[in-house]
Amino acid sequence: MKTIKSILLIFTICITTTLFDACKKVEPSTAIDEKEALSNEADISTATIGTYAVLRNPEYVRSGHFLMEYPGDNIAQGQPSSDDLSRCYRYTQIATGAHATAFWSQAYHLIVGANKIIAAIPDNASADLKQLKGENIYLRTMVEFNLVRIFGRPYPQGNGNNPGVPLLNENSTDTAPARSTVKQVYDSVIADLLKAADLMTVAKSNIYASKEVAYALLSRVYLYMNDNANAIKYADLVINSGRYTLLQGGAYSGYFSGVPEDNTETIFCIRYTKTQDEGFSAIGSMYYSGLGPDGTAPITTPGGQGNTGWGEIYASKTYVEDLDKYPSDLRHSFIAPYTIDGVLQMNKKLTPNTPMYYITKYSFQEGIVTLSSPVYLRLAEMYLNKAEANAKLGNAQLALNDVNVIRTRAGIPMLTLADIAGGNVLGAVLEERRLEFAFEGQRAYDLFRNNLPLVRNYPGTHSLNNTPNTNTLQTILPTDPRVVFYIPQVEIDNNPKLTQNP
Amino acid sequence: MNKFYRRQVVLTTLLLMFSIMAIAQVRVTGVVKDTDGQPMPAVTVAIKGTTNAVSTSVDGKFSISAPADGVLTFSFIGYNTKEVNVDGKTSIDVVLSSSMKQLNEVVVVGYTSKQVSQLSSSVSVINGDRLRDVTSNDVVSLLQGKAPGVVVSSASGDPTSVSSILIRGAASISASTSPLFVVDGNIGGTYNASDVESVTVLKDAAATGLYGSRAANGVIIITTKSGKAGVTKIDVSSTVGFNTKTTGNFHLMDSQQLYDYQKTFYNPDPSVLKNNTNWFNLAFRRALTQNHTIAVSGGSDKTQYYISGNYYNEQGTLIDNNNRNYNFRTNVITKLNSKLKLSVLLNTIYTQQTYPTDNLLYDAYLNLPFDPAFNPDGTPTDGRTYPGWLGRDNENPLQGLQYNFSNSRSLSTNGDLNLDYTITKHLSFATYNRITLYNDKYVTYYDARTKSGGANSGELYNTNDYSSRILTSNRLKYDNSFGNHNLTLLAVGEGEKNHYDVNRLNGKGLPPGRTAMSTATDIISNPSGGTDEYNFSKYLGQVDYNYAGKYFFVGSYVHEYSSRFGSNNPSGNFFQAGASWILTKEDFMANIKPITFLKLRASYGTTGNAEIGNYAALGLYTIDQSASYGGVPGAYPSQKANPDLTWEKIKTANIGLDFGLFNRIDVNLDVYQKTSSALLFQKPLPATSGYSYVFENVGSIRNRGVEINITSKNLVGAFKWETNFNIALNRNKVISLEAGESVVSPGAAHPIAVGHDMNDWYLPIWAGVNPANGDPQWEKLVTDASGKTTTVLTNSYTEAAASKQYTGTSASPKFTGGITNTFSYNRFSLSTFFNFVCGNKVYNDSRFYFDNDGLYESYNAMVPASGWTRWQKPGDIATEPKAVLGGNHDSNSQSSRYLENGSYLRLRNVTLGYQLPQNFLDGIKVRSARIFISGDNLVTFTKFSGVDPEVDLSSGTSSFKYPISRKLLFGINVGF
Repeated sequence: MKTIKSILLIFTICITTTLFDACKKVEPSTAIDEKEALSNEADISTATIGTYAVLRNPEYVRSGHFLMEYPGDNIAQGQPSSDDLSRCYRYTQIATGAHATAFWSQAYHLIVGANKIIAAIPDNASADLKQLKGENIYLRTMVEFNLVRIFGRPYPQGNGNNPGVPLLNENSTDTAPARSTVKQVYDSVIADLLKAADLMTVAKSNIYASKEVAYALLSRVYLYMNDNANAIKYADLVINSGRYTLLQGGAYSGYFSGVPEDNTETIFCIRYTKTQDEGFSAIGSMYYSGLGPDGTAPITTPGGQGNTGWGEIYASKTYVEDLDKYPSDLRHSFIAPYTIDGVLQMNKKLTPNTPMYYITKYSFQEGIVTLSSPVYLRLAEMYLNKAEANAKLGNAQLALNDVNVIRTRAGIPMLTLADIAGGNVLGAVLEERRLEFAFEGQRAYDLFRNNLPLVRNYPGTHSLNNTPNTNTLQTILPTDPRVVFYIPQVEIDNNPKLTQNP
Repeated sequence: MNKFYRRQVVLTTLLLMFSIMAIAQVRVTGVVKDTDGQPMPAVTVAIKGTTNAVSTSVDGKFSISAPADGVLTFSFIGYNTKEVNVDGKTSIDVVLSSSMKQLNEVVVVGYTSKQVSQLSSSVSVINGDRLRDVTSNDVVSLLQGKAPGVVVSSASGDPTSVSSILIRGAASISASTSPLFVVDGNIGGTYNASDVESVTVLKDAAATGLYGSRAANGVIIITTKSGKAGVTKIDVSSTVGFNTKTTGNFHLMDSQQLYDYQKTFYNPDPSVLKNNTNWFNLAFRRALTQNHTIAVSGGSDKTQYYISGNYYNEQGTLIDNNNRNYNFRTNVITKLNSKLKLSVLLNTIYTQQTYPTDNLLYDAYLNLPFDPAFNPDGTPTDGRTYPGWLGRDNENPLQGLQYNFSNSRSLSTNGDLNLDYTITKHLSFATYNRITLYNDKYVTYYDARTKSGGANSGELYNTNDYSSRILTSNRLKYDNSFGNHNLTLLAVGEGEKNHYDVNRLNGKGLPPGRTAMSTATDIISNPSGGTDEYNFSKYLGQVDYNYAGKYFFVGSYVHEYSSRFGSNNPSGNFFQAGASWILTKEDFMANIKPITFLKLRASYGTTGNAEIGNYAALGLYTIDQSASYGGVPGAYPSQKANPDLTWEKIKTANIGLDFGLFNRIDVNLDVYQKTSSALLFQKPLPATSGYSYVFENVGSIRNRGVEINITSKNLVGAFKWETNFNIALNRNKVISLEAGESVVSPGAAHPIAVGHDMNDWYLPIWAGVNPANGDPQWEKLVTDASGKTTTVLTNSYTEAAASKQYTGTSASPKFTGGITNTFSYNRFSLSTFFNFVCGNKVYNDSRFYFDNDGLYESYNAMVPASGWTRWQKPGDIATEPKAVLGGNHDSNSQSSRYLENGSYLRLRNVTLGYQLPQNFLDGIKVRSARIFISGDNLVTFTKFSGVDPEVDLSSGTSSFKYPISRKLLFGINVGF
């Protein structure tokens, strides 16, 4: 009986302990309570890192790449696909398109997160905190700028008097605002970049924002507005700061395969580390597949589709023909034709067949086939921004000087005024921009903001829009409604103040 | 007197003398009572072999003169007739038991055991043998079609997958709709199909009451077997059989058919016809199923035991897919002394599973018949390097399957330690304690020589996770009777703690064929892992009263706390009440002979649901690796806070009628209404709020329905035939949402809108094919200046997507049920079991890939279903648009085009069994032996054009389905 009594006693103690334990609160192990997320400087620094990390989310960077690069004429899609990226390429977008929906969603999540941090830092804080405030303002602004050029019409059309995207700042209380006009967004972007440049005094590495990064983006924004004087002013501020130098020769050929922080030409890129490779979901996997034809060669040898990547999107035939005008052009190192025994392979899924010119700008970082840290701003653009602004101001020789800096670096002969047909210096600048910034998400904007049509006359799935679909010509005028993407239908469903694009 | 008369008198006197001397008569008196202890009037007490009979009086008493060596029979309609030898006794008291088997069954209902006849609630009981007609290791799938209102749907024929179960319709949007599982008296626990004695499904508030706080979706109580005193039994059973895949009405094209189809929109080279690979057949096989159990049970009055071991091995019909289970259970119940009873229930289950890799199922559907699977030397071709490979994914899964694998092993251990202590005759205390530990390891390997592993020179992934649960439930019970009044009071205090942790790591750069993590030379991504915890604690009280076994009343109150809810409202309060009346025990019913049993019951109460994520109420910044940048840890906002988040509540009202006719037909009829309020759901937010959704308690959903269960003994002679038919109708409607909103997810295929069924389809409406040009057409709503809306046709999907409408159909079935017929003659028995689902529409998502009018020339296509025609020239009236390379105006985008009738009737099981003759068995010292042959899923009647109309009914979508198996099994059950 005594044994039983003591057993019962032990029992009762165990039961009571469990009952009390069961009333405890629990906390997740991989997340922190938002009330503790911004309470001191270290927290703010951590949260700022988190804002950068949102850029790395494929729904931002990969979907964004499809939205910004695929409408251009430097690439060709070699076979039909049901993935929404196909519609981005063919100009057949729909309001329920997956990539526009994903990009919009991540972009605004980043903006709201950055605003929370900006609101937590007063304007008279310490230099380090002001630097972080500036970085968050820069990130918010960069994303707003991307949004307005994807969903809003080019600034020169109607002088910005067209529907843009909703603007949010750290004082916003409306979580479902209406669309501001393109002009209002551009004005806000410029004001924010100037403020950010003021606040940022630390010269951080090129994977973070700093004063010159804001100036570089300002140069681009002013150029898009046709404010040529300011475009030149800010490009000069970046060039003359001495922080960046153009890569030359072999270093330039291997631009995208080194460690990003060691690259002296990159002004801002989105850093992926070696353990953050996205594999078949990476931007580069659409552009390249390695391991050679039988799957046993190194990853740097182009191989059949599906070996290391999808390999469905190639450099367009006309782009390669332009590049081939000078076989010594170093920019050939960013194109890797898929050949077997010296014979260029063709993707036979379309008629006419598409030549398989793989693209390597998003591959081989630190030796990993699909790893890349997408570059958003680099020094070469400052020169070409100046060139374009000068060309529009009538300073033909000044424009050519900057074009020649780029051409010399690429190892091709310089241009003189006499070489330019019809005195169309702007045309020469735009052509150099095309060759230099191919696959970096700029081409379609460069054409439409200069009121030029996009003309594709090369094999690619855009021919499927035609009857017969062996006709490879596609012309998109700058006034075409599909030059901008539809506002995602799910956002319109959840925010009735948003109006849809026609 | 004449001579005749004198002879009569002498003979009669002699006869009387002899009869008195030869057969001694006894006057026997006694009382006849029923199993409730109530006296039974009007019972016929007869002397066997004669017509002498009397009836018992109103207080059950009788008095009869019977031969001292005679036999008395006691009979009453609806009760088992009893025979008692007189043996010279003058006083015989008899207890008659009801012959309604189902009324006698004792079921465990909320911390107590009761006979079904005493319950005020809606309950279905399925005992072990009826459960195990179908062969599966997943008890949930065994419940399909066996109880009205219980709808089991299996989205896959994969033996490692589990079925989903819905009781009385879905009452929740974002929280789980799965019922609560209770094993052997406590929430949670583990069990194996071979050890299950019975399954009780509790459906209304009074039944689920005591689990009330978490029983909004119903409760399934599983009771495992236990030994019986005095009888030592050894039972061995073995089943072996074969499974093959079923593909319904769906057929993929072969080379010739695909070539002919592609010629209409593309220019395939005729050389593609040289191969005709049937990928679907290559990916599937005839698979083997085995199920072996040995169980020993027995005991004495003091101790009873049940020990069993089970081995279950089911191969999947998809190659390389397997589920192997080893189960061991020991149930020991012993009386330590006259007041203390100890039960120890231990269960260990070790599972090994292998899963298909290399996109095997996906490639089986989509690979082209033009591509060969094997080289001339018999080795699998490699889709990446085979010259002229046409399939889009450049993948031959058989090549990867030579080297790649994905498998897991898990061990779960469950121990119950229960003590019942009788304090006084009326007061008892019980403490039921459970600990469950679970551990598993997953390994996935992709070899460097294959497509899946080539880019990284080999990939290896390991995941290890562990979970533990400790639960204690302590009950105080007071039981007393005052005359005809019987009262039970119950108080319970319960607490539960749960812990989970996981870690994951991976490696790449492995030498071909090497699968140890140490041979990897680098990592693919950073190691990850974390922990999760949640707790519940609860207090409740119950009052249970009955008068004379005729009138029953039960009421209870439950208060429960959960760590999952916001700091403002972490606890919920619930109450339940039920009452019932057994009419056949009333005097006025005694003479209505056809009605052998009649009971009316009603219940009302509230139950709750807490099945959302563990931290849904908190506002969070995530600090995991997705928030790191440049190698530095970061944090970004990941979840919006809601400190008011609390329990979902459901009010259920149920009225039921149970009656038996002619002692041959039992009918249960239930009418119910359950209304959920304060629903937990993820309300979508505009992206400009910084979040995609927030968890809130909003809105109200109502489910109403009728359930009927009929068991009928049609023939009871030498040839027996019994039918069980059950059917349920459930109608779902969203009653209100928060803040005057009318829709939860505007634009979604299931928008969940006020006034509609939760699963109503909302899609662009397909309007057929334009006869002039073969374009697809959808409806577009145009509103003119005066507000009038007209419908026009458009071939632009963007316009169609902006004009979505309710199709008037839903993914919820109109009615569901099952029919079982059991025939037996002599020692043979045959049972057939059909289940049916009717009135739902299924979205056949695989048609996006197979019926897309030329979008893909590098994927296979389906053979058009009967009645489908393709547009070819102007003027054609056709069902399928013109085939155009690259797709025809996005014709395969989501719309009512792919919405199909999902109704079906399936012959789920046929079993033919033979019981070996007793005298033969006695000769070999065997207690019982039965052999049987059974077939599962033999025939399905449906119009659905896909592989299988059975889908997870909450999504209503059929995609690349792993087809269910048709099984043919042979088995033997032997008892010693």
